[in-house]
Amino acid sequence: MSQDHEHGLPPKSSVSRWFLTTNHKDIGVLYLITALFFLLFGGVLALLFRLELISSGADLLGSMGYNQAVSTHGLLMVFWFISPFAFGFANYVVPLQIGADDLAFPRLNALSYWLYLFSGILMGVSFFQGTTFAGGWTMYAPLNTPAYIPGEGLGATSVVLALIMFTAAVTLGSVNFLTTMYRMRAEGLRMRDIPIFSLSINLTVWMMLFAFAALLAALMILASDHILGTTYFQYSIDGTTMATDADNPGASLLWAHLFWFFGHPEVYIVFFPALGVMAECFQTFTGRRLVGRKWFIISMVLVALQSFVVWMHHMFLTGINLPIKTIFMATTIGISLPFDLMVFSLIYTMAKGRVRFTTPFLFSLGALILFIIGGITGVFLGAIVLDYQFRGTYWVVAHFHYVMVSGATALFGGLYYWYPKITGKMYNERLGKIHFGVYFLGFNLLYFPMFIAWETPRRVFVYPEGLQIWHSMATVGGFILGASFLIMFYNLFVSLWRGEDVGPNPWEYATSAEWAVSSPPPLENFPGIPSYATGKLEFLDDETVAERTESTPGAAAHGHAATDGGTATDGGAVTARAAVTATEMEPAHEVGGEEHASHASFWPFLISLAGFITFLGLSGVRTGSVFYLSLAAVGGLGTFGSLLGMTRELFHAPEMAIAERWPFERVEKMKLGMWTFLASDIVLFGAFIGSYAFVRVAYGWTAWHHDLIPAEHVTMPGLINTYLLLTSSFLVVIAMVAAERESKRGTVAALVGTFALGVGFLINKGLEWQHLFHISTESFPNGWTLSTNIASSTFYLTTGLHGAHVTIGLIICAYMTVRAWNGAYQGDDRAIEYFGLYWHFVDIVWLFLFPLFYIL
Amino acid sequence: MAGNMLALTVAVFPLHGGDVRAPSAVFDQIFEVFLLLGTAVGVVVVAYTMYHALKYRDDGGESDPYADKVERPQMGEKPTGGSGGRKVFYSFSISAVIVVSLIAWTYSQLLYIEQGPDPAQTDALEIDVEGYRFGWDFIYPNGHTTNTLYVPQDRVVRLQVTSTDVFHNFGIPELRVKTDAVPGQYTSAWFTANETGTYTAKCYELCGSGHSLMTTEVTVMPQDEYEDWYAQTEGTNETVEGSNETATATETDQRIAADAPALGGAPA
Repeated sequence: MSQDHEHGLPPKSSVSRWFLTTNHKDIGVLYLITALFFLLFGGVLALLFRLELISSGADLLGSMGYNQAVSTHGLLMVFWFISPFAFGFANYVVPLQIGADDLAFPRLNALSYWLYLFSGILMGVSFFQGTTFAGGWTMYAPLNTPAYIPGEGLGATSVVLALIMFTAAVTLGSVNFLTTMYRMRAEGLRMRDIPIFSLSINLTVWMMLFAFAALLAALMILASDHILGTTYFQYSIDGTTMATDADNPGASLLWAHLFWFFGHPEVYIVFFPALGVMAECFQTFTGRRLVGRKWFIISMVLVALQSFVVWMHHMFLTGINLPIKTIFMATTIGISLPFDLMVFSLIYTMAKGRVRFTTPFLFSLGALILFIIGGITGVFLGAIVLDYQFRGTYWVVAHFHYVMVSGATALFGGLYYWYPKITGKMYNERLGKIHFGVYFLGFNLLYFPMFIAWETPRRVFVYPEGLQIWHSMATVGGFILGASFLIMFYNLFVSLWRGEDVGPNPWEYATSAEWAVSSPPPLENFPGIPSYATGKLEFLDDETVAERTESTPGAAAHGHAATDGGTATDGGAVTARAAVTATEMEPAHEVGGEEHASHASFWPFLISLAGFITFLGLSGVRTGSVFYLSLAAVGGLGTFGSLLGMTRELFHAPEMAIAERWPFERVEKMKLGMWTFLASDIVLFGAFIGSYAFVRVAYGWTAWHHDLIPAEHVTMPGLINTYLLLTSSFLVVIAMVAAERESKRGTVAALVGTFALGVGFLINKGLEWQHLFHISTESFPNGWTLSTNIASSTFYLTTGLHGAHVTIGLIICAYMTVRAWNGAYQGDDRAIEYFGLYWHFVDIVWLFLFPLFYIL
Repeated sequence: MAGNMLALTVAVFPLHGGDVRAPSAVFDQIFEVFLLLGTAVGVVVVAYTMYHALKYRDDGGESDPYADKVERPQMGEKPTGGSGGRKVFYSFSISAVIVVSLIAWTYSQLLYIEQGPDPAQTDALEIDVEGYRFGWDFIYPNGHTTNTLYVPQDRVVRLQVTSTDVFHNFGIPELRVKTDAVPGQYTSAWFTANETGTYTAKCYELCGSGHSLMTTEVTVMPQDEYEDWYAQTEGTNETVEGSNETATATETDQRIAADAPALGGAPA
């Protein structure tokens, strides 16, 4: 395996390689560079408003300019910089650490990256559509709705759509990483045995899978309020000003709940990878194994679980009652304790070590100290009496920057740590240390004065004269912090040529598998299949593998070369992720090790580009402008076409012949991916249904019927549709049985039946909607449309999301029918099974929606 | 009849003479303790960290000074934990005790802030607050509305806060009172000012272009001045009398209920 043997992938010096590559290491590098670009983007915005704050008043940016700068700074740093930066390392390092040759679905991985890049470009474009989003990174309702956005507000819509695109990328990434880590570990590596950085990524993606699904629901609803005219986040629907006699009294708090249900896990999503990097660097540069490793891991698992039950501590002043406040106070304090343990574990890891103050270690140690300060100031916020007064002030700003940017500090350590692995060159150590010194000084000069000036309200440009000295100090600190990166970029750039060549492992006491291969590692990562069966890393040669896969039937069965094919994602269609559904299995090639894996595909780039055009078009369709409408149409067609192209492309991503797969030995890669995706889809629908219940309870559960819903909204269409869907699910099962019995005619007939019933469902729904849109009664003279009231909004949007799932299912069903007609699936019904999983899921969702929207 | 009149005046403007512990006092006390302990813990832990980092730094020597005590990690080994886990537990337990007891201590203070002072001596002046972009309406019991807040010294003031447009947050930092102004619902908060003077109320939730300037004055007046001001506030006499009557009736009821235990009656 050498560099000249790249399986159709152009060399790294060629530009086209970077558009084609699906290799995890290349994509890791792309993530790192792109994330650093967004660091500059968000950083320059921060410097702009720090400059504004050097004295009181908005004489530089103007008030809306200032609001835009603080809002987009937050969004860019939290979404487009810190997590993707961490996932640059995750992409590069995790497969190496666990002994895999790539991620489970390489093309999906490329698709995640391109969606991420284009979502960031859309974010950038929003600055040129009048004004961009200016309502704070927390995007509180109803300030986030068009009614309160000055001008046409297209920039704000673009930001919402960019976030949806970003979320699609994250969800695909989560599915991919989970499948990889549960199906492709080196033999002998139990989950608890994988290196701590990989473990932190594992827990991060679990949190991402569920937290981002809730965010996606919030964003889809918000986008619908912007584009389709639903009224979820408007409390006054006819535009009158009122205090409490509202049309939708739950509007504001609905956003807060949805956002923080995502937002608090997001804190750990951001911080966990950093914690993983710190632990790796501490182990390597102290020459000690992580002290209390088991408890360190248990602590992380506890935090990951508990992160979903602390969100209301962001809402202590919204009028929630004392028992709930008490519970959330307890969970909040509870979640801080595991971090104490982790901090002490890192501190004691240094004991009896041989601590070497290299640049990565300096950054890791610095991050630990900053995190200690961030943690202590966080305990203040856990005392509710103090929290009330800190709410909306610089105390919160200073605290979370000490936590989040300490995470970023550790990640910069990671950049120096893995730089020699990625480039094969050593950076300049002296410049690295200078960078750390300037960085650490700038950091504290920037954020510590904020604690002293904590009485300043957040996101204002006016403050008392007495606080000016602290704000000026912070501004100076901000510029020092920013300048420190010039040293880093210079160092890392120049070292690409001038740096010393490094061998596989430049760090004494590094242990994990990425250091056992050359720097940079070859395309296929390892010289043979990695194994820890003897307790130490070994590479099994082809002969051993062949012997073992023959003698153990179980292993041979796992040796299927499945393809990454056909895991279609819509990345850009109306529902940003509903289409992720796996179906196609190219005929499996039986021999594991022999076959060449594919590493190049142009489709992920094309899908994302087309998705970007679609979303850009969608941002302006409500103006009726021909330009935006045609963008949306062209983009939509392009997305569909490129998805089809990717589905039809032959692409081999062989499964490992020998691997540790607990607890999913018997769940194939595609099936596991499908299950994971559906798990996040459950949260998506859960959030929609929860939103419906929330606004309805806020309005008055029973009053809802009398005031908001016309008598013409009857049960019958829903009941008919229930029967249609249930029957269609039954037919999918028959299609599977027919395929198993190799009856081509049966398979085709059952699939056609499924398709027909699904189409019947949609036609029935269309007739029902047409009727309701055009009723003209005394209470509803202008019909019952999406914008009539909150009941109609919830009805159309929730059942519409389900309808979109049905539509996507039907597209796949049609595709499979054609393939079955051509003789596919006979004797191998797995593809039909995966489609069936999706289809049954869509039916089950309907079984919840029908009573909620037609009966109760 | 005269006695009735007196009761009525007191019921309308009951003072506590500075007996009620103000939210600002509660905050200051907790904040002070947290600052002291937080700084102490921070200094100790950071110093401890640095001590470990420096004490065990590699001197560049050939031999490993702890070779007989600890095993160094080997390339390609399966990750395991290092020795010394017991110390982690001790340190963790100490930190957990500090954190949990601190928070538990503040909980009783939270109950006080949540429930407010004993109503017997402190019937509150109820004022509705409506936030809008970019200012505040203060609505007094007689229906009079102002854009800056007037309150008497030494009286408990209870605010019912809402918004007529977007999410705001109403706070008077010096008096340590703050609550969200959420459209479509009311939240409540209370405070009392022991010193007369002018304070500033601010908005603490980003609400649009005028957010930074969404401040207003809060004037705390001596009791008699406030009474004079209140008597001449605009609004029809009927409204004033009407609301006074209802306020008096409910407040008198509360007083009786609250006084009952002291008079030997059953606790209300």
